[in-house]
Amino acid sequence: MSAAGKKNPVQIKNANAEKQETLLTISILALAAILSFATRLFSVLRFESVIHEFDPYFNYRTTKYLAEHGFYAFHNWFDDRAWYPLGRIIGGTIYPGLMVTSAALYHLCWLLNITIDIRNVCVFLAPLFSSFTTIITYLLTKEVKNAGAGLVAAAFVSIVPGYISRSVAGSYDNEGIAIFCMLFTYYTWIKAVKTGTILWGTLTALAYFYMDSKSTVLAKRTPGPSLAYTLGVARRHKQLLAGNQTQQTCAVQELQPSSHEENSPKSERAPASPPNQLRSLRPKLRYTLGIARRKSQLLTSHYNEQTCLQPDQEPTPNQQVHVGVSSWGGYVFLINLIPLHVLTLMITGRFSHRVYIAYSTLYCIGTILSMQISFVGFQPIQSSEHMLALGVFGLCQIVAFVDYLRSKVSKRDFEILYSFLLYTVGILTIVVGSILTISGKIAPWTGRFYSLLDPSYAKNHIPIIASVSEHQPTSWSSFYFDLQILVFLFPAGLYFCFKQLTDENIFLILYGVTSIYFAGVMVRLMLVLAPIMCILSGITVSHLLSKFMKNTESQRPMDHKKYRKMESNVAFKQEISTSFVAIITLLLISYTFHCTWVTSEAYSSPSIVLSARSHDGGRIIFDDFREAYSWLKMNTPEDARIMSWWDYGYQITAMANRTVLVDNNTWNNTHISRVGQAMASSEEKAYEIMRELDVDYVLVIFGGLTGYSSDDINKFLWMVRIAYENSILFYEEGGSTDRGAHIKEWDYYSSNGEFRIDKEGSQTLLNCLMYKMCYHNFAQVYTEGGKPAGYDRVRGAEIGNKNFQLDVLEEAYTTEHWLVRIYKVKDLPNVRGGF
Amino acid sequence: MSTPQNVKREEEEVDEVNSVASVAINDKLVNRNVARTIDLTSQLVKITTSITLENTGKDTVRTFHIVQEPNAVGTLSYISVKDSLKDDLKLERLTDENENKVFYNVNLKQPIGPGRTTTVTLEEVLTQSLLPYPSSITQKEKQLVRYFGNHYFYTPYVTTKQKTEVTLNSRSVESYSKLKPVSQSDSTIAYGPYSNIQPFTEDQMIIHFESNAPFLTVTRLERLIEISHWGNIAVEENIEIRHTGAKLKGPFSRYDYQRDSSSTHHSIKSYRTILPASAHSIYYRDSNGNISTSTVRPRKDYIELELRPRFPLFGGWRSSYTLGYSVPSYQYLFKQPNGEYVLIMRLIDHVFDDMYVEELETSIVLPVGVKNVKIETPYEVERLPDGVTYKYLDTIGRTIITLRKQNLVEQHIQDVEITYNWSTNLLFHEPLLLSIGLFVLFIIVIIYVRLDFSLNKSEHTKRD
Repeated sequence: MSAAGKKNPVQIKNANAEKQETLLTISILALAAILSFATRLFSVLRFESVIHEFDPYFNYRTTKYLAEHGFYAFHNWFDDRAWYPLGRIIGGTIYPGLMVTSAALYHLCWLLNITIDIRNVCVFLAPLFSSFTTIITYLLTKEVKNAGAGLVAAAFVSIVPGYISRSVAGSYDNEGIAIFCMLFTYYTWIKAVKTGTILWGTLTALAYFYMDSKSTVLAKRTPGPSLAYTLGVARRHKQLLAGNQTQQTCAVQELQPSSHEENSPKSERAPASPPNQLRSLRPKLRYTLGIARRKSQLLTSHYNEQTCLQPDQEPTPNQQVHVGVSSWGGYVFLINLIPLHVLTLMITGRFSHRVYIAYSTLYCIGTILSMQISFVGFQPIQSSEHMLALGVFGLCQIVAFVDYLRSKVSKRDFEILYSFLLYTVGILTIVVGSILTISGKIAPWTGRFYSLLDPSYAKNHIPIIASVSEHQPTSWSSFYFDLQILVFLFPAGLYFCFKQLTDENIFLILYGVTSIYFAGVMVRLMLVLAPIMCILSGITVSHLLSKFMKNTESQRPMDHKKYRKMESNVAFKQEISTSFVAIITLLLISYTFHCTWVTSEAYSSPSIVLSARSHDGGRIIFDDFREAYSWLKMNTPEDARIMSWWDYGYQITAMANRTVLVDNNTWNNTHISRVGQAMASSEEKAYEIMRELDVDYVLVIFGGLTGYSSDDINKFLWMVRIAYENSILFYEEGGSTDRGAHIKEWDYYSSNGEFRIDKEGSQTLLNCLMYKMCYHNFAQVYTEGGKPAGYDRVRGAEIGNKNFQLDVLEEAYTTEHWLVRIYKVKDLPNVRGGF
Repeated sequence: MSTPQNVKREEEEVDEVNSVASVAINDKLVNRNVARTIDLTSQLVKITTSITLENTGKDTVRTFHIVQEPNAVGTLSYISVKDSLKDDLKLERLTDENENKVFYNVNLKQPIGPGRTTTVTLEEVLTQSLLPYPSSITQKEKQLVRYFGNHYFYTPYVTTKQKTEVTLNSRSVESYSKLKPVSQSDSTIAYGPYSNIQPFTEDQMIIHFESNAPFLTVTRLERLIEISHWGNIAVEENIEIRHTGAKLKGPFSRYDYQRDSSSTHHSIKSYRTILPASAHSIYYRDSNGNISTSTVRPRKDYIELELRPRFPLFGGWRSSYTLGYSVPSYQYLFKQPNGEYVLIMRLIDHVFDDMYVEELETSIVLPVGVKNVKIETPYEVERLPDGVTYKYLDTIGRTIITLRKQNLVEQHIQDVEITYNWSTNLLFHEPLLLSIGLFVLFIIVIIYVRLDFSLNKSEHTKRD
């Protein structure tokens, strides 16, 4: 693909050139678009057309609802399947862009009598939009540089792993689509700046609105008024745990990756002497490293996102902070890039009427449009993330006004007027700004925002943020893993942009430099970096190739001056050019192979179905999640309430159609903490909580038998921590009860401060509900040759508490590989004798 | 077409239900010898009765009556009578209003002359007649069921001699009613011979025994048959099943379940479905996606599919899934000399051995633009109003014929015949539509590429 792209600019030099060029462009683009679609289908081919992960299940469920019931029903939808007994008003708490897009596509297909299933629309939406991204990348690069660079960039972006990681078939989430919207916004913006027409400005605003409507992620994270973690709490927490905290956080962090790594050596050992029938049922697993890596990344990320809820929000009553803005991280960056561009143009003296028209149109229309989404409300003029846009808009007006004045009045008068205006406006801004900030009208700077700007901020101030794996600084290896040669071509692209500064190039430079900075701060923002990497690398490759390709052909008697000059300096010109082209071609080929390999190995696992290799090389499918959800769906009462850790909430509601207490929309922390408390308490205490919450069934994920490390025991410390922190918060705020006060994190560590599940582990841990649910009946099971019964393969230890029975629960179902265990909460015992 | 029609019936099967004041019983007929076999090895009760009829009267007898046991009225799923040449005899259902009994009037092909005898074989399949007792058991307990029957053959005639043999699923019998002479050996209980039994004699037979046969009920089966004249027939079955044996009491322990390797457990791990030999593109999924635990084994003249539900089924547990496959149409779709097309497909197909289907709804999607649809069903079914559906690129809808029936067993696996007129030209409807669509698309691209739409020509060329 990329090899084809690079040949383009030089190849055609005859009369029919233009037509041929069009044909070539269209076919290359079409191929790139098809390739970008096809390369994302690994998981569909290997597994099936299925929705991946956690959040996509919610998106899928809502999309299905929208497609079936129409927009108004969707808008007014009160979901009683989640957050029992509170429920959730879906229509008012999500950005409907993604769902509306899918539903529109679905209805369009049906209008044409293409009877496609809504699930397939959802599964293939991300690849489809990747194809669009490919095309829009071409247009954007073409606008900035030339068509050749555009084609190379399109070819690059079609298979860049950094983008594929979030847009494979089945990962039905905003991120994959947001990239298309982002590039589309930028394309229209560049167009608007170039032409200076209101038309393009309006189009930019529409694209911006569309993008805005996609940023659903933020909806998920609005904290309830009393629940936000205040910075104070985090600090207090830190003090309380003293130096212990850092160490503990690290312990948990290490737990997950290390247990993964243990898998491969374990399976290597694989002695096959089954002393028990059970052994034969259980093949040795070896997750391929990449899949394991990806999986752990995802699970921890999902998990961790939550735990670093808004660090320092004052619990203002009218709190509608763009929380999720930061949770998709890139969003802040996106909405600020265009104002930043305008600002830079202003500073460099390139501000013109074109820019003025483009930006004013964009800002006015874009803001009004985005405020139409009920969930956005007045955020665009209140929250700090949008301040730059507002400020630049004001500045635009001032600058334009000043320019106008300058052309009308004499120089002396102008200077007086200018200084007067400067002071007045400056003072006014400061006064109004501070009044608004103090009165809480403007949301204060969030901790996450600081951490975005300053990588060390989070670590220094909020330990929990520091522990989030996905918010860790990106390592060099992962840059290379996700971008390969683009890493090296990118600086050259920047250089070419600097060499030929235009308004558009400045935009690219700004985009490139800021995004590489942010991607360095957070792994997650790699997604935003990938397209600009492709664009700049496309410029590099196209530029270099078009330079050198000329010389590979036999001498032509033209351009005498230039040629003579070069000829005098360079010997073997043709040979050098040829070998250079060959090297670039090799690099591009290696890029293609690398991308395909990464996609296939690391990014194409649906995580709802797991697969492993047995020793004979056969593939084993672990379909336990769906097994459990099907069981729930078929064999529990319609209104049964399922308690599980919040990670599985979306999946349970979507696949089992049962009511859950907490889900991945982590808007109510006390509720989550209450669940955490139940899990972390002893049976009697837990029973009280479960009775209070009306729980019918409890679901836990247990990987001890198969070696699946993202299970609930590994997440358990987080449950404890959340339970604990909220109980403190509750108490501080004058909560009337001591709910959850019995949960203290250090009770769950052994005397050496370790988190262990074997005999050395703390008694509190060995007797808590989570432990008992996971290891119920596990004591007799032989999991691995040469190990005693009850050997946990994830933790690599024999369980410490073996002889226990469950009093308040009974095992309702356990899946084939014990991955999911479901317990039924027993009714209160009949009172004997009576009173 | 859209109104429900009376469905035509074939011969040799149960026909109209006639309500008469009282059924005239020919008292000259005598059951000389009755040998019953009651098969209780599965979840169904299969009774095969061989009757030797003697005409003690003066007139030739052409018909005789069979009467249903009062306690079997709701549960009788299938009944057939064969004569000594193994030919099916025509049954006519009569309801006696006075005595509230259900009779079947059987027309003999060879009349019985005075003093002569003939032997007929009566085959009955009863569903829901084995009741788990106790009705709920724990995981480790054995499943016991009770059968309530009649020691005597229930008949409107005098029976001279009668024997009954009951075949059970296992040797362990809790108890059985002992109307002497009776004997038990292995898993068989033999009653009789009894002699000179008056008409309509009842005496309750109770057998309480262990049965680990799969008690699996298909609570609803939706079968969808789609015909394409391009040479393919797609079949999709949406199946809801429930374990109707003794309910599971208390916890389910995966540990015990995995340790217990005995094959005779009351839970159901998997079962076999038989598909036609030419079936291909088989899929097995449910609302959450593909179920990866099935194996396809091609046999000589059928395909055996071993289906494992996502989870083992214990008493009271339900599951549902979708099974689909395609078969080539030349085996099922024929063109008559007069230009009509005839589709011969099974109204219901095999789900598992000794299956019991509570409700069946078969929908047949006919090709676009069919006319004069006629249906012949092998037995009485209810025809629901026809529907219309649109499949890929259909601009004209397709007719859906929907048939419904309750209480079916394996014996109901029979062919339904649908005859219709259809014009071959309609085959090209969709390719043509597609070609036009693509043609228009390319034309638009050509026009866009060739023509310059900008108003301000000079600026445009300058920039380039």
